[in-house]
Amino acid sequence: MKESSGTVRKAREGDIDQFMSMILRMKKLNGEFDPLFRTREGDDTPIRDYYLKCINDHEHFITLVAVKKDKIMGLVKAEIRERISYEPSKELRIIDLYIMPEFRRKNVGNMLLSAIYGEMKKLGIKIITAEFPSLNLIALNFYEKIGYREVTSVYGKNIEEDSD
Amino acid sequence: MNDGERTARFNRLAVEYSRYYKGKIRTLPSVPINSLKDFSYWYTPGVSEVSMEIKRNPEESFNLTGRWNSVGIVTDGTRVLGIGNVGPEAAMPVMEGKAMLFNLLGGVNAIPLPLRVSDRDHFISVVKALEPSFGGFNLEDIESPKCFYVLKELQEKLTIPAWHDDQLGTACIILAGLINSMRITGRKAQDTTLTLVGSGAANIAAAHLLIESGFEPKNIIMVDSKGILDKERDDLDSLMFSNPWKYELALITNGENRKGTMENAIKGTDIIVSAAKAEPGTIKNEWIGEMNNDAIVFALANPLPEIWPQDAIDNGAKIVATGRGDFPNQINNSLVFPGVFRGMLDARSRGVNFGIMVKAAQEIANFVGAPQPDRIVPSMEDWELYPQVASTVARAAVDEGFARKPDSKEGYLKTAREIISTNRAMIEKSMDLGFIRKLPEVRE
Repeated sequence: MKESSGTVRKAREGDIDQFMSMILRMKKLNGEFDPLFRTREGDDTPIRDYYLKCINDHEHFITLVAVKKDKIMGLVKAEIRERISYEPSKELRIIDLYIMPEFRRKNVGNMLLSAIYGEMKKLGIKIITAEFPSLNLIALNFYEKIGYREVTSVYGKNIEEDSD
Repeated sequence: MNDGERTARFNRLAVEYSRYYKGKIRTLPSVPINSLKDFSYWYTPGVSEVSMEIKRNPEESFNLTGRWNSVGIVTDGTRVLGIGNVGPEAAMPVMEGKAMLFNLLGGVNAIPLPLRVSDRDHFISVVKALEPSFGGFNLEDIESPKCFYVLKELQEKLTIPAWHDDQLGTACIILAGLINSMRITGRKAQDTTLTLVGSGAANIAAAHLLIESGFEPKNIIMVDSKGILDKERDDLDSLMFSNPWKYELALITNGENRKGTMENAIKGTDIIVSAAKAEPGTIKNEWIGEMNNDAIVFALANPLPEIWPQDAIDNGAKIVATGRGDFPNQINNSLVFPGVFRGMLDARSRGVNFGIMVKAAQEIANFVGAPQPDRIVPSMEDWELYPQVASTVARAAVDEGFARKPDSKEGYLKTAREIISTNRAMIEKSMDLGFIRKLPEVRE
């Protein structure tokens, strides 16, 4: 594996254009796995506003980017969640992890995760989980390879389309 | 008679003749049978001991039966020639034709096996189940990208070679043609830039083989119906799942990160290999003028090339190849698979890989001797080509550790020549004696 030189840092408001195009690519891919993830057409402003909020809200989110010069190679956005009934009481949930195709297989994913673990240590969070569409076998393989296991299953259906 | 009329005539004759002959191949005994007595060793009771020998050592099936020289031609009929998904029954005439070529050019007993299976894993399990009967499999006319998955899985699971001619055969003859084209124009693979127009089975396999043979991935540009394959294209994530073989190429090719139309991909390139829309004008005449000097243009779509050869030459191409026999330089799989299979069968090979294919392509290129712009590949009537390719492939199988039956190159050459020439003599004799009937008169 070729290492990709570059650094990981917290995402900033100025990253939003590149950040958004990557998010949209990833969400569009999710739609190909499952119609329940069909992406919305039209104005992206609400999505953009949401991610700007995540980037600035360090209390509830960790949002990092791997950059090489001005180019964002990959991003990760994770939510800090309270676990009312369980010990330990906090969990970090990766919601978005995306690497641009040209920077794949160059260790960018591991760079991002190491940085995430670093942030978790600072915040005293010990548990990390990741969510992705069940049919995304590449994501599944990725997380299993680095020692994650299935923790929760989420099942769903569209009650208007499915009469069974 | 114009092209259209000629094609219509061939179509009519093909149907009439097929109705007359009712099949293009048949099986015949290969042992002497003079009286009923002979059955005591060809069949019961003696044959049971032959079975027991094989039961004790299944590898003996290559020595005690015709398995060593048998190839299954398997298809699901999903991408038959230019006519598409016609189903297994309708694929049979084409598979029979292929079996005939296997026999005539390579002395191989090839059995057409169109299968009524559509699911790719089911297809693989059926072929795997047929393995004990054969020394190799030729996959034929299976749609892309299913064909990549099926071939990869079968190559991993089988202990005999699996070959998909639309991918590997085409890639091999493209490489052979390019080797000679580069000799003529004084190019070296590692410094040569190449644009592959069309990203179907043939060109994806060709790209992988060309890289194996020494082309730099960054010097290759792939083009498909959406334009240049670049690393930032929107559909790349979806390709990662639907066509990982193409995705792989997207990540490593196109070092300049060109984007956009086919025209952008052709500018300043040394070579075009096109397997795209069968329509002259797919590659525009003036684009050839924007290629580097001594440009090499392979316009391989059938029946109509993407650009007429003379138009390409008038606009600066030094060498042009097509898929057709009525122009110079026909890039034709039939120059490859008979010799490749002859060699794999003679070595009782356990498999085939890109390394063996590169050697086969080099042998085909070398066979031409002193290549000229209008002769970069051999002709199908160069009978000596097939044993030469066979012996090179068989030796390569030995070097790769695939051969169950190792021999010298000379030994393999002798075996291949003998099998192919005996077989051809049998066909000629059958025609002389009228057992293969003369072509019937057909009202024109």
